[in-house]
Amino acid sequence: MFYRLSGIHHTGYASAHRLWSVPADRWQVVAVLALALLAPLFVSDLYLGSYVLPWLVWSAAALSLSLLMGLAGQLHFGYAAVMAIGAYTSIHLAQAGVPFALAILGAGLTSAVIGTLFGAAALRVKGLYLVMATLAMQYLVDWVIVNVPAISGGAQATLRTPDVTFLGLPVETLSQRYYFALAWAVLLALFFMNVKRTSFGRALIAIRDKDFAAAVIGVDPFRFKLMAFLTSSFVGGVTGAVLAFCYYRAVTPEQFSFNVSIQLVAMVLVGGLGSVIGGFLGAGFVLLLPIILTNAIADLGASGWIDLSQNLMAHLPLIFYGAMIIGFLLFEPLGLAKIYDNVRKYFLVWPFRHSGS
Amino acid sequence: MTDSDTVLRCEAVTRRFGGIRALKGVSVDIAKGEIFGLVGPNGSGKTTLVNCVTGFYPPQEGRILFEGADITGRKPHRIAAGGIARTFQNVALFKGMSVLENILMGRHNLMHPNPISSLFYPFLARGEEIAHRRKVEEIIDLLQLESVRDEAVDVIPLGLQKRVELARALAAEPRMLVLDEPMAGMNQEEKEYMVRFILDAHEALGLTVLMIEHHMDVVTAICGRVLVLNDGTSLALGPAREAIADPDVIAAYIGTSSDAA
Repeated sequence: MFYRLSGIHHTGYASAHRLWSVPADRWQVVAVLALALLAPLFVSDLYLGSYVLPWLVWSAAALSLSLLMGLAGQLHFGYAAVMAIGAYTSIHLAQAGVPFALAILGAGLTSAVIGTLFGAAALRVKGLYLVMATLAMQYLVDWVIVNVPAISGGAQATLRTPDVTFLGLPVETLSQRYYFALAWAVLLALFFMNVKRTSFGRALIAIRDKDFAAAVIGVDPFRFKLMAFLTSSFVGGVTGAVLAFCYYRAVTPEQFSFNVSIQLVAMVLVGGLGSVIGGFLGAGFVLLLPIILTNAIADLGASGWIDLSQNLMAHLPLIFYGAMIIGFLLFEPLGLAKIYDNVRKYFLVWPFRHSGS
Repeated sequence: MTDSDTVLRCEAVTRRFGGIRALKGVSVDIAKGEIFGLVGPNGSGKTTLVNCVTGFYPPQEGRILFEGADITGRKPHRIAAGGIARTFQNVALFKGMSVLENILMGRHNLMHPNPISSLFYPFLARGEEIAHRRKVEEIIDLLQLESVRDEAVDVIPLGLQKRVELARALAAEPRMLVLDEPMAGMNQEEKEYMVRFILDAHEALGLTVLMIEHHMDVVTAICGRVLVLNDGTSLALGPAREAIADPDVIAAYIGTSSDAA
């Protein structure tokens, strides 16, 4: 078989610690990256701009949240607010003439500071209470953005993103914006994988799994929960900026409402907590499924197979969508990443059903 | 015993939970390099004393000194950083990690965990990870955990899980090791292995060991001195065989002849 662990011998710890030790995994990574790089050549502008690009950005957002929810185990139901802070900061900085690279950095830092402040207040509580505290962040930030004209430009206003160049490279045309979003998603995915294989990620997982056992080997739970909030909010803020500049290009407060936070939580849960591939799969699932369902039902209605009222047609995708999330929580709580892992393991141990040990 | 020999000193440690006094002024000195046993019937305050020492339940009265420094009321992670490692009665491993990662976790205090070095892994993190992996492999050798190194911790047998927890505690390079019933729920063979590993670690790493243990054969075999607790007070303190032969101790454990009548 092409997918085999036999014959892979580590002769040093450096090779044992590499990211993909199975050659088939490496080939897959290369193939996916090549497809992603060539996408603007064979994907039509419509699909690239309205499916692939948002999928990349939302995957980055799901990964940012998964760092906090999946690795450190801290629920956050106000993540759209973190992204909103990043988006608005970057737009205002760019409009003030700050170079785009610095504007993005500023977006990350502002989100990190505000997100960590809320985190510090919220970390006095756990579980459901933490959910409530992060919800409060969502509504507070929403309210401030809507009601401070200096930020939103007025209650009903739309802020356009100015044309920018990133370190000399323009980020204007569709393919330029696509490559920028791709670079950010790849960088974030690499960062996530490196966090998971270093002491920082292990400390976060230790706090998630057993906080008292983590404390007894010297992990300061409060400090590392705060660091999780800080890191996650920073990358969340940058992702918000990327979302604004690469996809929306015109920002209104509703784009970062409470619904978006719930959607992000759904992406992380459906994809699989703390998994990189889960972030991409979850974002794709949550973004694409409603669209596919809407189109499929519309087609069925148009061809006369079923006769549905306009009102029901509009709500059916939402019903399916909710059912799918409940189904995942019941039958595959580890999400799409676990399904991917099962398939991979099936090939790894083939022709046996289980691994030897 | 001179003061310089004392590693851990508890002075009249008292801990209450609501109206219950779990520890009533317990005092004990533990000398450098000794294997000290803590025994007593269920509910006598053994784990509470250990939790006072490791910072989970700070005592309301009394003082705890480690190597001369007052550690009373310090947070558990600061006490751990000061050089005390412990294991738990019910195995407390991190289920989301492999055996290797669990033991690597023990080196937390000796590493520099932060997101920046994770981001620049090839430059800032790889060298550190590999250096510590090397140290962890020495402990894996010492405790003979090679065969389960890459397994998930929740699929290996209990005896091995307890050994992994010991390995994680040793990985921190502590000067004092606190073991809460390291042999609970083990069969005879696993027990014998565990005794061997505790002695190996004690000898190879020059540790001071404080252990709670119910198996009297183990206590008399490896503990130099023991403290017998009953109902939050110290009942006997001294060389293992003498302390557990004390009539009061036997009465606390088994009851007196008049109870039997």
